[in-house]
Amino acid sequence: MESILDHVIAKYNYWIYVVLMMIGFYAMIGKRNLVKKLLGMNIFQTAIILFFISTGAKKGGSIPILDKYAALQGQVDVNQVVNPLPHVLMLTAIVVGVSVTGVALAVMQRIYRKYGTLEEDEILHKIENE
Amino acid sequence: MKPLALLATLITGALLLYGTADFAAWGDPQSPPNRNISVRYVEEAVKETHVPNIVTAVLGDYRGYDTMFELVVIYSAGMAVMGILRRRED
Repeated sequence: MESILDHVIAKYNYWIYVVLMMIGFYAMIGKRNLVKKLLGMNIFQTAIILFFISTGAKKGGSIPILDKYAALQGQVDVNQVVNPLPHVLMLTAIVVGVSVTGVALAVMQRIYRKYGTLEEDEILHKIENE
Repeated sequence: MKPLALLATLITGALLLYGTADFAAWGDPQSPPNRNISVRYVEEAVKETHVPNIVTAVLGDYRGYDTMFELVVIYSAGMAVMGILRRRED
């Protein structure tokens, strides 16, 4: 029991991301409103981005901006600088996420223009009665 | 519908929490993502590019084409939004 608790405390960041991700997942599959589904997708995305960023964290590490002259002479302690690669890759992921959100919002606006509602069951009902 | 969604969420969440047992502890400098390729970037990026900010060096120099073609992603998204939202003139 003691070891399980230590285990949870050492990795509580992953537990937070899993909870966040499941909030987003439930919003995507359990809600009927299209805007709520999109919000759920964004929460899901945020959880994944936070997870990747946290894999690059180092205890006591500073930001990955180096003193140029010290770095040119090779006087950089790798353990004192956080891992920059997850930051770069998540920048790319954020750009893609913004594009997807924009297109999804446009599609929703088009759906609203045609059916006058964003509730999934009402839209299906209107499609069946056409 | 909703109880089923809740059940699926709980099962997926439990599986993911079970999976966290194999991850490295938070802030561990010797964890696999911090031990392998990123060491080379931190040590050599300034010598190779003369950019003190490593994130900028990787984004603009090592992954320059990736960043450039990200513009294509944004451009396609903008074109798609314009095409979707345009009203027909009839």
